[in-house]
Amino acid sequence: MMSFLADYIYYIGAFGLILIGLYIILVKHNLIKVIVGLGILDTGVNLFLISVGYITKGTAPIFSKPGIDSEHMIDPVPQALVLTAIVIGVAVLALALSLAIRLYQHYGTLNLRKIREQRW
Amino acid sequence: MVDPVLLIAVPLGLAFAIPLFALFWKDAAKYIPPAALGFNLVVSLLLFPKILEKPVIVFIGGWQPPFCINLVAGPVGVLFSTIIALVGLLVSIYALDYIKEGATERYHILYLLLLTGATGVVLTGDIFNLFVFFEVLCISSYALVAHLRDKAGIESAVKYLIQGAVGSSLLLIGIGLLYGQFGTLNMADIAEKITSASPISLFVPMVLLITGLGVEAAIFPLNAWLPDAHSSAPSSISAILSGIAIEVGLYAVVRVIFTIFGASSILLFLALLAILTLLVGEMCAFSQNNIKRMLAYSSIGQIGLILFALAIGTSYGVTGGLFQLLSHTLAKVLLFLAAGYMIHRAGSMDISALEGIGAKMPFTSLAFAVGAFSLVGLPPFIGFPSKFLIVRAALATKETVLIVLIGLALVGTVIEGAYFFRVVQALYFKGEKQNPGRKEAPIVALLPMFILVLPIVVVGIYPKLVTGVLNSAATEFLNRLEYIRNVLG
Amino acid sequence: MRRIVSILLLIIVALGISLSLAKIPFGAPKTKVGKHYINEGVKETGATNIVTSVVVSYRGFDTLGEVTVLFIAAIGIGAVLSTGRKKAMRETTPASLVLYTGCRLLFPLILIFGTYIFIHGHLTPGGGFQGGAIIASGFLLIYLGCQERRISRVASNMAESLGGLTFVVIGLLGLAFGGYFLLNFLPKGIANALFSAGIIPIIYIAIGFKVGSELTSIIDNLIEES
Repeated sequence: MMSFLADYIYYIGAFGLILIGLYIILVKHNLIKVIVGLGILDTGVNLFLISVGYITKGTAPIFSKPGIDSEHMIDPVPQALVLTAIVIGVAVLALALSLAIRLYQHYGTLNLRKIREQRW
Repeated sequence: MVDPVLLIAVPLGLAFAIPLFALFWKDAAKYIPPAALGFNLVVSLLLFPKILEKPVIVFIGGWQPPFCINLVAGPVGVLFSTIIALVGLLVSIYALDYIKEGATERYHILYLLLLTGATGVVLTGDIFNLFVFFEVLCISSYALVAHLRDKAGIESAVKYLIQGAVGSSLLLIGIGLLYGQFGTLNMADIAEKITSASPISLFVPMVLLITGLGVEAAIFPLNAWLPDAHSSAPSSISAILSGIAIEVGLYAVVRVIFTIFGASSILLFLALLAILTLLVGEMCAFSQNNIKRMLAYSSIGQIGLILFALAIGTSYGVTGGLFQLLSHTLAKVLLFLAAGYMIHRAGSMDISALEGIGAKMPFTSLAFAVGAFSLVGLPPFIGFPSKFLIVRAALATKETVLIVLIGLALVGTVIEGAYFFRVVQALYFKGEKQNPGRKEAPIVALLPMFILVLPIVVVGIYPKLVTGVLNSAATEFLNRLEYIRNVLG
Repeated sequence: MRRIVSILLLIIVALGISLSLAKIPFGAPKTKVGKHYINEGVKETGATNIVTSVVVSYRGFDTLGEVTVLFIAAIGIGAVLSTGRKKAMRETTPASLVLYTGCRLLFPLILIFGTYIFIHGHLTPGGGFQGGAIIASGFLLIYLGCQERRISRVASNMAESLGGLTFVVIGLLGLAFGGYFLLNFLPKGIANALFSAGIIPIIYIAIGFKVGSELTSIIDNLIEES
C-alpha cells in the first residue's frame, strides 16, 4: 500500500487538485472563489500532463555537454504541451478577472446567486 | 496549387498587423477583416477541385508525421472553411455600419481571430492543435459577447467563460490520458493504434473529450450558457456564434467520434441525447417573448437535429446532417442579421414591439421571413431538401428506435413552425396600418442579407448543386482507413 | 443539496479517471515520438534544448496558436476594461525612499535576466514565454513600488503586434523558400553556440518581447481600472 502511494503520488496529487477545483466551481457562490477554483483546476491538469512524461531516474532533455548520456532523458513532448496549457490558462484567468471587475461595477455584488437577471 | 496553410496564416498575420495599420489609416480595422476573409474564400474555392480527388496533406515545418503537426485539407475541411469564409465575409460587411459604439478596433481584431480559430479547428489533423485553435475560438467569443459592456452582456460572458473553461480543462485531461496510453498526438496515428486497445480503457478519454467539446457544441445538459450568450451579444456576433461557433464545436465532436475512436456503439446514445436537445430547444423557444432568445433556443433545437442526423451513422445520415448544417448556418445568420436592424428600429427585443415592421422595413422583413421558412423546412427553400434527406435516412435504417426518434423530431418541427409563424404574423399582419414611414436598413446591411437569400433559394430548388460535395465529405468522415492511409502513407 | 450532488458527481469522475490511469504506469519508458525527438533533435534542428526544439520547430504551430491566445486575452481585457479616459488616481501615500530606490535599482537587473533567458532559450532551460514573464514581473515591481510610472500604451501595442507579425512572417518565409510553413531555412550552425539553430532564437526573441509587453499591458489595464 505504501509503495503504491509513493509510486503514484504525483497522479494522486494532480487528481486531488482537479477534484478540489471542480468542487469549488460547482459549490461556491462568490465569483472570485470560483475563479480561484478555475486556477486550481488548471494547475491540477498541468501537473497531471507533466507527470505522464516522467521516467524513473530521468534527467532533463538538454544536451549541455557533448558526451552526455541520453538514455534516461524524459519525454519532452508533455513539457511542450504544458507550456501551451499554462499560457492558455493564464489568458482565461486574466479575462475572467477583468469581467469580474466590470460585473462588480454593474451589480455591486459578486454573489452569483444574486446575479441572475436573465431568466427563462 | 495553393497551400492550405495560407487559410490560417494570412488572416492571422493581418489580425496581428491591424494595430500597426491603425496608426496610419484610421479606419483600417473595419476593412481588413473583409479583405482577409475574401482571400480565404478565394483560396478555399481554388482548392475545391483538387481535394475532391485526393485530400491535400500539409506538413508544418517539413517533418514527417507523426513527428510533426499536419493539416488535412479534405472535402470536410475545405467545405467548412468555405462556409466560414463566406459567412464571415458577409457578416463583416454588415458590421461596417452596425458596430458603431464601444471599442470598435478591438472588435474587428477579435472577430478576425475568432474566424481564424474556427478555420484552424476544421483543418487540423493533430488533437492538441485542435485544442489550441479551439481555445482561440472560445476565448475570442468570450471577449466578443462582452463587447457592449452592459449588464446582460457581462453577466452572460462570465457564465459562458466559466462553463467553457471547465469544458476545456476536461478536454485537456482527455488528451493527456490519450497521450499517456498511445504516445502520440496525431489523429491518424491514434486512430491506427486504437484498434489494439481494450474498449474499457478508451471509454473515459472518449467521454471526457465529448463532454469538453460538447460545451461549445451545445449538446443537451451542457448548453446552459447558450441562450444568455447569444441573446446579449451584438447581433453580428450572435449570428457568428449561432452560425459558426457551435457548428465547429459539433464538427470537433463528430471528428473525435468517427475518425479517432471509430465508436459506433455510442451513436445510439448520442441520437437519444440529440432528440432530447431538439425537444428542449424547441419547447423553450416556443415560450419566449424576446426574439433573440427565441432564435438562440432555436439554434439549440437545430443542433439537436444535426447531431441526430450525424448519429445515424450511415452515408445518407451524415450527408443529411452536413446538408442541415449548411442550411442552418445560412438561415440562422440571415435571421440574426435581419433581427439586428429590426430591433434597432423598434427599440426593444420583444416580439410584440416588432409588430408592423413588415411595412416599415420591407426588405429586411422579407429576408427574415425567408430565413424563418427555410429553417422550418418549407419548399422551395434549402431547409426542405435537407430535412427530407434526414427523414429518408432515418427511415432507410429500418430500426424502430430511430423511426420513433425521427417522429419526435417532426413534432419539434411543428412547434418550430408555430413560433416562427407567430413572429412573421406580428411582422406583417399586426401593427398600425396608417402612415408606416419607411426607413430601411442601410445598403451595407441589405447587401449581405440579399447574398444569403440567393443560395437559400437556389440550392433549395436545385439541391444537386451541393450534394456531390456533401457526399464526399460524408465519405471522409465514415471512412477511417482511408483517412489514416492518406496521412501516414 | 447542491453539495451532495456535486460530491456524488465528483466521486463518479474520480472513479472513472482512476480506472483509466491504471493503464498509464508512472515512470514507464519513452514513447516512439519522444525517443525520436531526443535521438534526432540536435541533428535536425540544431538546438541543444530538446524542449525548445519541440516547442518551436516540431510543434511550432501550437506555439503560434498560443501566442494568438495571449494576444486575444490582452485585446479582450483592453476591450472590456479600458475607457480611454485618464482616471483620477486614488490617494496613496508615496513609498519610502528605500522601497523606491530599491525598485528602481532592481528593475534593469530583472530586465537583463529576462532577456538572458529568452535569448538563450535554445541552449538552456527557458525560452520566450519564461523570459517574457520575468520581464513583466519587473514592470509589476515598478507599478507596485513607484506608483506614478506607467509604460507607454502605444509602445506596448507596437511590441505586441510586431512580435506576432514577425512569427507569422518567418513562417511564410519558410513557405516561400522551402515549401513548408515554419521550415527552418537558416543555417543550423554548431550546436551549443549562441548563433545556432536557424530560426529558433529569432522566434524566441520575438516571442519574448511580445509576451513581456502583453503581460505588462494586462497588468496595466487591471491596475488602472480597478
